[in-house]
Amino acid sequence: MNTTDLLLTGRPLTRRTLFAGVSGLGLLVAGCSSGSSGSTSTSATTTASTATADGEAAAGSVAALAQAFYQTLDADQQSTVLLDYTLASAKRWSNLPQGLISGGAGGGMPGGGTMPSGDAMPSGGTMPSGGTMPSGASGEEGAPSGMPSGGAGGGGGSSQARVGIALSALSDDQLAAFTTLLKAATGTTAGLGYDEIEQQLAADDYLADNGGGDTYGRGNFYVAILGSPQDSGTWEFQFGGHHMAVANTYVDGKLVGATPAFRGVEPFTKFELDGESYQPLKAKHTRFVALLASLSSSELASAKLADTYSDLVLGPGNDWAFPTEYEGVKISTLSAKQKKLALAAIAGYVEDLADSDAKTILAGYEDDLDDTYIAWSGTQALTAKDDYIRIDGPSVWIEFSMQNGIVLSGNHPHSVWRDRTTDYGGTKS
Amino acid sequence: MPFPSRSAVRTRSARVVVVMIVCAVAWLCCSPSASAHVVPTSSILLEVGDGAVEATVGIPLSDLESATGIDLDDESQATIDAHAAQIQQYLLDHFVPTSDDGQTWTVDDGSLTVSTVGNAQTTGLYPQLETVFTLTPPPGSDRESFNLGYDAVVDKVATHTVIVTASSESDGSISAVGTVRRSTVTNTVQPLHVDLASDGGSSGFTGLFSLGVEHIQEGTDHQLFLLTLLLPAPLVAAARRWGPAVSARRSMRRIATITLSFTLGHSVTLALGALGVPVPQQLVESLIAVSILVAALHAVRPIFPGREALVAASFGLVHGLAFSEALRELDLTGAQLVVALLGFNFGIEAMQLVIVALVLPPLILLARAERYQTLRIVAAVATAVAAVGWLGARVGIANPVADVADRIGILGLPVIAALWAVALILVLHDRRRSPAPTSAGTHVVFSQATGGRSPE
Repeated sequence: MNTTDLLLTGRPLTRRTLFAGVSGLGLLVAGCSSGSSGSTSTSATTTASTATADGEAAAGSVAALAQAFYQTLDADQQSTVLLDYTLASAKRWSNLPQGLISGGAGGGMPGGGTMPSGDAMPSGGTMPSGGTMPSGASGEEGAPSGMPSGGAGGGGGSSQARVGIALSALSDDQLAAFTTLLKAATGTTAGLGYDEIEQQLAADDYLADNGGGDTYGRGNFYVAILGSPQDSGTWEFQFGGHHMAVANTYVDGKLVGATPAFRGVEPFTKFELDGESYQPLKAKHTRFVALLASLSSSELASAKLADTYSDLVLGPGNDWAFPTEYEGVKISTLSAKQKKLALAAIAGYVEDLADSDAKTILAGYEDDLDDTYIAWSGTQALTAKDDYIRIDGPSVWIEFSMQNGIVLSGNHPHSVWRDRTTDYGGTKS
Repeated sequence: MPFPSRSAVRTRSARVVVVMIVCAVAWLCCSPSASAHVVPTSSILLEVGDGAVEATVGIPLSDLESATGIDLDDESQATIDAHAAQIQQYLLDHFVPTSDDGQTWTVDDGSLTVSTVGNAQTTGLYPQLETVFTLTPPPGSDRESFNLGYDAVVDKVATHTVIVTASSESDGSISAVGTVRRSTVTNTVQPLHVDLASDGGSSGFTGLFSLGVEHIQEGTDHQLFLLTLLLPAPLVAAARRWGPAVSARRSMRRIATITLSFTLGHSVTLALGALGVPVPQQLVESLIAVSILVAALHAVRPIFPGREALVAASFGLVHGLAFSEALRELDLTGAQLVVALLGFNFGIEAMQLVIVALVLPPLILLARAERYQTLRIVAAVATAVAAVGWLGARVGIANPVADVADRIGILGLPVIAALWAVALILVLHDRRRSPAPTSAGTHVVFSQATGGRSPE
């Protein structure tokens, strides 16, 4: 897709947006067993924040554009979008659609809402005995002692809904200002960065139209500004929704971390929507496949993981829980050509960022390249369920995992880029 | 239906988003968080039986295939049956529960069945293998506290999670035990220790006792009713006004009588409700709000002076019906029901007494102070407002007052602390002003109250 003027606004929000809240209401009723009306004022979205959007910011910078976007909002929207910078808010990203987070329409039983006996779990995961389901995403509740926080395997999502404001709540002018901001924060490489995000939004619209219903679609993506967007201090530009998390953390006007960055898509194969054809994540996938294809059979063997990976190891909720051991083949043992392909695969994520930022970060990863490892599992085509590839270095951490279809029948990928030092801009508490 | 115009959609959708956010928030406030997985997980449901524990295990077939290397391609029952011995051996090799002292349990396997489970929106639908193991502890070992020793699938599928739950012996409620999964840091499977005794679901006397305690702890409306009724208890009612304080002993007696009457009232209907007498829930909830309102008005101006006990008993009947809801969910019968009723009732009572014991002494002390009138009126009016809010919410008119009132509970301790502080300050102040009686006690002796004054 080559249009430069995007189109967050290009696709009218349909009637399904109007009903987006209805399921929420039903859940609310189901979830509040006490019969008392739910309280509505204990969330980050209503807590008065001390962040402001009027500090010094260089013209054209992401901070300045964040301020400009903020200025287009009404007072209520402003207080929803602009929050204090805290790790707690920064962690509130997920691969799931907003409507399915936190005992959403999926019911509370991870694993699909049924007990082995076939009895459905009480909706919303409320346990009659007052217990909560162990969260698959964090080691803080229900986890055996000795488990490092967040050291889960197969976590599915952080258990709290995203903060910020949904795109469906924005007017055309507000969307235009947001688009300008998003473009500034992301890269211009075709098939990556802004172009890829736009394609992912189209994919979610496609899901909504093809059996997913109102849980899906670009209207359900959220933007938040954590901290004061300006040339001094720390703030984060946060944007995400189903299969997407953008997390750019800026300190004193400089990008200090662009992870955790989540990119996934369903459908994975080419699809058509409103006469355009799309295949988001194709660019990333192509680079991984080329990298694996360049390995000799003995290199492939030493890179192959003993275990099966049905999902990402460090998905949402598994924060600051990097493995201590590297697995796979060390890139220092590979040829110059193979190293290039490895760097290209890494660039498939780094180039999602604004071009100048991408250059800086990629140079750092290139310096580390010899001490970086490639590991994989499943098949080299990376199209079958449980196919998996990982690039793990002193800083960089990238995983790509193929999984079952959820709304559609074909397999689809999840992938995450993290950084052992600059995840969340280095914020650990 | 005409398609709405873009701008109309936008304004409405903006409103919808606000509603969504509100819903999401409310949802977070009133439900324990449960993170949905996208990837199918295994599940183990533990049920304590006679001398053994039954473990119902569910495993997604595709993960079982990855873990065992057995080709289960068509995922049919016939394929599973053909490989049953192999699969069972694999599972037995990976299911070795041990007692806390290290002794190994006996594990007996059952037949393997395939079914389709999952959720179309989160995991997709997928075939799952289900089987029941019987876990028998060695003689003398605790069957409610042991190491699960389960690592099937997780030993091979690094990203797999096994969710372990337990079913309560008495009421069948399901509670979380924990998960078996790998640490991402060490890449090793984290062992899970099971403690079924602490799942709080025991329907014995203690389980229900604590349920009763919890009920009052969280039942802001019940607390508020009782406290408001006690507010004027230390005072003399005369000529439709609350007058001076009565003696400490008398007000203690009054407070005891009111509390006891309330108990009698709610005990009767709690028993009836638990026995299955139909309870119109909305009506009961609304009546409870009314009872709080009446108590609040009475605290401002005596409506039924001297008959507080009777009023407490009759409104107790209403509150008891609400209590019974919690017990009805347990579906108990016979002796179990009697024990449960007793336990639950004692729990309610114990918590009420704790609250009364916390609030009563400062109240009696404060009743002697000139400012008591202000305190009484302010507290009563605030309560009345909360009651009206609740009443609105319960007849179906959502309102912010009710939302705030729902969260009064968290003020409990600070308010009580403030009451005590104010009461003690007043006592010290009074003693300094009017020299204390000669019995130089170190405490305030209630019966030697320094003369209270009518605020009139």
